[in-house]
Amino acid sequence: MSAPERRQPPREARWETLEHSVQGVNKQLNQDWYVAEGSGSASDPLILAVADGHGSAVHARSHIGARCAVDLFAAQARTFAELARSEGPDGTHSLSWLMNYARNELPRQLAAAWQESVLAHWDRHPDTVNPAAEPPPKGRKLLLYGATLVGAVVTPQLFAAWQLGDGELTVIGADGAVALPLAPVEADLGDETESLCSRHAWQLVRVHWAPVVAPDRTPRLIVLSTDGLSKSFASDEGFAQFMAGLDQRLAKDGGPDDVREALPGWLAEAARYSGDDTTLVAARRPEPDAADHGPAPDEPRSDA
Amino acid sequence: MANRPVHFIWLLDCSYSMQGEKIGQLNYAIREAVPEMRSVAHDNPAAQLLLRTLTFSTEARWHHKDPVPVDDFTWQDVQVDGMTNLGEALEMVSRELQTPPMPQRALKPVLALVSDGVPTDDWKSGLRALDATPWGKKAVRVAIAIGADADRSVLQEFLGNPELQPLDANSPKQLAAAIRWASTAAVKAASQPVASPTDTTVKQPPYAPPQLDDDDDDVW
Repeated sequence: MSAPERRQPPREARWETLEHSVQGVNKQLNQDWYVAEGSGSASDPLILAVADGHGSAVHARSHIGARCAVDLFAAQARTFAELARSEGPDGTHSLSWLMNYARNELPRQLAAAWQESVLAHWDRHPDTVNPAAEPPPKGRKLLLYGATLVGAVVTPQLFAAWQLGDGELTVIGADGAVALPLAPVEADLGDETESLCSRHAWQLVRVHWAPVVAPDRTPRLIVLSTDGLSKSFASDEGFAQFMAGLDQRLAKDGGPDDVREALPGWLAEAARYSGDDTTLVAARRPEPDAADHGPAPDEPRSDA
Repeated sequence: MANRPVHFIWLLDCSYSMQGEKIGQLNYAIREAVPEMRSVAHDNPAAQLLLRTLTFSTEARWHHKDPVPVDDFTWQDVQVDGMTNLGEALEMVSRELQTPPMPQRALKPVLALVSDGVPTDDWKSGLRALDATPWGKKAVRVAIAIGADADRSVLQEFLGNPELQPLDANSPKQLAAAIRWASTAAVKAASQPVASPTDTTVKQPPYAPPQLDDDDDDVW
C-alpha cells in the first residue's frame, strides 16, 4: 500500500502587472506618475495607482503633486492591506469596520497627508522667481500641485479602489464583462476635474468596495489609466472596446509579453489624439492552474 | 481615436448701428485673426478647432452653420441689417450646445460675443436657455463692447463671471486687438486642464483679458 499522496495547500494567486506612461504632445514634462507593486498575496498586496498632475500654468508643480499622490496612496494602501490581513473572527477588524475605514478614514488621511506633503515641498522650495514677493495663501499653493488619483488594492480577501477626479478604473470581470465601477454618474465636461487640491478633497473621493467572495470570481483584469487614454477615444464605447481588446490580447499565448512590447506605441498614439500625458497600469489575475507552478510568494524559496 | 473638438462660435452684432466703419473694421479684424487661430490650433494638435459664425440683427442667422475646421475656414464679410436680436441668437446657440449635437467628449466651447448696442428682444430668455445647457455653462465666454453705446451690463451678464470684464473696443485698433485676443487666448483657455473652479479653494478666472492700448486718435 502506497503512502497517501501529500496534498499541497492552495497557493495564492500571483497577479501579473504591466505599466507604462508617455508624455503628452508639446508637454515639457510628463505630469503623470504611477505605481504597480505586489503579488496580491496577504503579505504582499497588489497595489496599483496612477496620478495625473493638471499641468497648466496654474498648476505648475502638479508633476510633484502627482508623485506625492501615488507615493502617499501606496503607503496608505499598505496600511489598509495590513488591517485587512487581520480581519476575521480572530482578527481585530470586521469587514464592516474595514469598509468604513476604506470609505472615510483612508480618503481623509490621504487628502490630509497630500496637503501636508505638498505644503512642506513649498516650504523647502518656495518661489525662486520672485523671492521678495508675499508668499501665496495656502489655497493657491495647493493649486500649484493639483492632481487627480486612481488607486487600488487587492488582497486575497479584498479588492478596493479609490478615485478622486478624472481617469478610469476598468475592471474586466471573470466573465469578460467590462465595467468602470468608479465612473461618475455625470462625467465632467471639458478638461475640468475634481482634484486633490479641491476644498474638502477627501469628500470627493469615490470608493469601490468588493470583498472577494470566491477566488474564481475575482476580476481577471484591473486597469487604471489617466484621462489621456480615455479622452483619445471619440466615445465611451471606443474606450470600452480598447479595454476588452487588451483583455483578449493578454489572454493569448505570450500575450503579456506582446502587450508589454506594444503598450508604449498604443499609449503614444492615444497621447497624440488626447494631447495629454497618458499612463496605464494593469494587473492580470493568473489562470487558475498558474498557481500550481512555483512556490507561492509567501513561501520560502529553495534554490537547492 | 479622435482629437477632441473645440467649437468656437462668433456671435456678431450686425444691427444698423454697426453700419459703416464698425462693420468694416470687424470684418477686417476677424479676417486678419484667422491665421493666428490656425497657429494656435497647430500648436495644440490634440484639439480640433472648429469655427462657426452667427449674426444677429432683425433676425439671427448662421453665417457659417456647420462647424468648419480652422484650416478650411475663410472669412466672408458680414453685412448690417436692422435690430439687435441677441436673445434669438443665444437661443440658437443653445440648441447647438445640447448633447447631441455636441459630443460628450469635447473641449470647452468658446463663445465670442461682439456687440455695439442694446438688445431689442428678450435676450435674458436666450441667456437662460444657453445657461441651461451643460456645454453652455462650461463655455469659455468672451465679450467685446464696441464703442460707448454698447450695453456693458448685458455683456457682463453674458460672461456670467464677475471676475471677467467685457473688453472695450473704442477704436479700430482696439477692436483688432480684442478680436485677435479672443481668437487665440480663449482657445488656449478652452484646452487647458484645470481643477474645477467650483471646488478649489482659490477661484481662477479662465483667462486674463489683456490691457488694450488706448492711444488711437480714431475713437468710435
